[in-house]
Amino acid sequence: MTPIIRFDNVTLSRQQKTLLSGVSFEVYPGQKVLIRGQSGAGKSSLLKTLMGMYPPSEGSVYFNEQILSRHSVHHIRNCTAYIGQEPVLAADTVREALLLPFQFKAHSHNCPTEAQLLILLRRLHLSADILDRHVAKISGGEKQRIALARGLLLHKTLYLLDEATSALDTASKQAVFDIFCAPQITLLAVTHDADWFQYSTTIFEMNAGRLTEIPQYGNP
Amino acid sequence: METLDIDWQHMLLLYGLCLLPWTLLWLLGTQLSRDIGMAVVRMTLQLSLVGIYLKTLFELNDPWLNSAWIFIMLVVADFNILRRSRLKIRYFVFATLTAMGFSILLSTAYLVLLVIKPAQVYDARYIVPLAGMILGNCMQGNVIALERFFSTVRKNQDEYLTFLMLGATRWEALRPYFRQAIKAAINPTIANMATMGLVSLPGMMTGQILGGSEPWIAVKYQLAIMICIFTSSTLAMIANLALSLRIAFDDFDILNEQVLQQ
Repeated sequence: MTPIIRFDNVTLSRQQKTLLSGVSFEVYPGQKVLIRGQSGAGKSSLLKTLMGMYPPSEGSVYFNEQILSRHSVHHIRNCTAYIGQEPVLAADTVREALLLPFQFKAHSHNCPTEAQLLILLRRLHLSADILDRHVAKISGGEKQRIALARGLLLHKTLYLLDEATSALDTASKQAVFDIFCAPQITLLAVTHDADWFQYSTTIFEMNAGRLTEIPQYGNP
Repeated sequence: METLDIDWQHMLLLYGLCLLPWTLLWLLGTQLSRDIGMAVVRMTLQLSLVGIYLKTLFELNDPWLNSAWIFIMLVVADFNILRRSRLKIRYFVFATLTAMGFSILLSTAYLVLLVIKPAQVYDARYIVPLAGMILGNCMQGNVIALERFFSTVRKNQDEYLTFLMLGATRWEALRPYFRQAIKAAINPTIANMATMGLVSLPGMMTGQILGGSEPWIAVKYQLAIMICIFTSSTLAMIANLALSLRIAFDDFDILNEQVLQQ
């Protein structure tokens, strides 16, 4: 089977600081891969490298065996949803935030219906009236769920979550786990949250830019 | 009708008028005395040199010399725009020069060749002041456009990256900041056109009337220059921003902070 993501000996240096050091790993379709580690260990940098925000200094990153380059970066971004810890909704109302990606040519043909929006909101324990609320008036947890919903509406091949459930209560978090544990979803998540671990297929530990697999979890 | 000359004694009397605001600002403790003094001296020296140069330029009326003068004005404007918009000159110098050169030459040529049609198309008396006026006004707009665009992208870096991560192309992600910058830069020109003649008498028209022109001719020249300023400002801003995108963003659409002054 071809891996969706392959990091081949990737080193990332920025402002004379090494953020990733010789990182190699693979993520296969349907896997739920978690990366844990202390703050500043390089976890978020790894996700940003894959999205072309921080191009690697050495080594190569592959997405579906296509090397990350200026030619492939848009394809990778179009196939991947990246959801950060403090998502930027970049809109006035929640509805506008959810529909924002569909203004772009890459997704303009795929705009969801009102019914699809409502079903997804319900699955994430959000009420319908949130759609017309101003994004400045919603809580951190609601914001995270809206960002997750926006990613899910795009039906991506791969989801990259960077502490994306840190502000959620137990029930909301469970709703997120239920969605992301679906076999068709491939997940690469950075988290400190031990609740995620039981849903993972592989766990890596990131320490000072180096990635090591935690063996007891292994690949199923 | 000849314009009345101001002799040197009366020029000195004119400078005396400056003493009134200078004293008031000194009494208010604004600590601007030195700056005002320097500004008045610089203005006097610069305009005196321009006076001497223009006199020679008009007498020789050589097309190459006229072109060289316009080119020098363009280069000075280029450096001034980049310095004031806090962009590193070595990265943007050619992009801004191209954008400014294209728009200024286009509107000046249009005005001189198709509208005014002087006996000699390279007549320094027409092309030098007209190109200078268009350039001066264009410069202000371009400073605002570039400064506003890059400061907004920098301030909204997370939002910009979010757009990219949501599948936007570089242009789609930058479009809101591009529009904001163009609007902020062009609004003063639009406001100026809308209030022209009501709030103040425009400089070129006043100059021509003082120079002995019929008011109607002065009005027509003022209208011509405003249309050219509006056209060339808009073209230069759009071209300047469009060309700067290729320089300021890397292959992965990320803003290269190295090209901006800290």
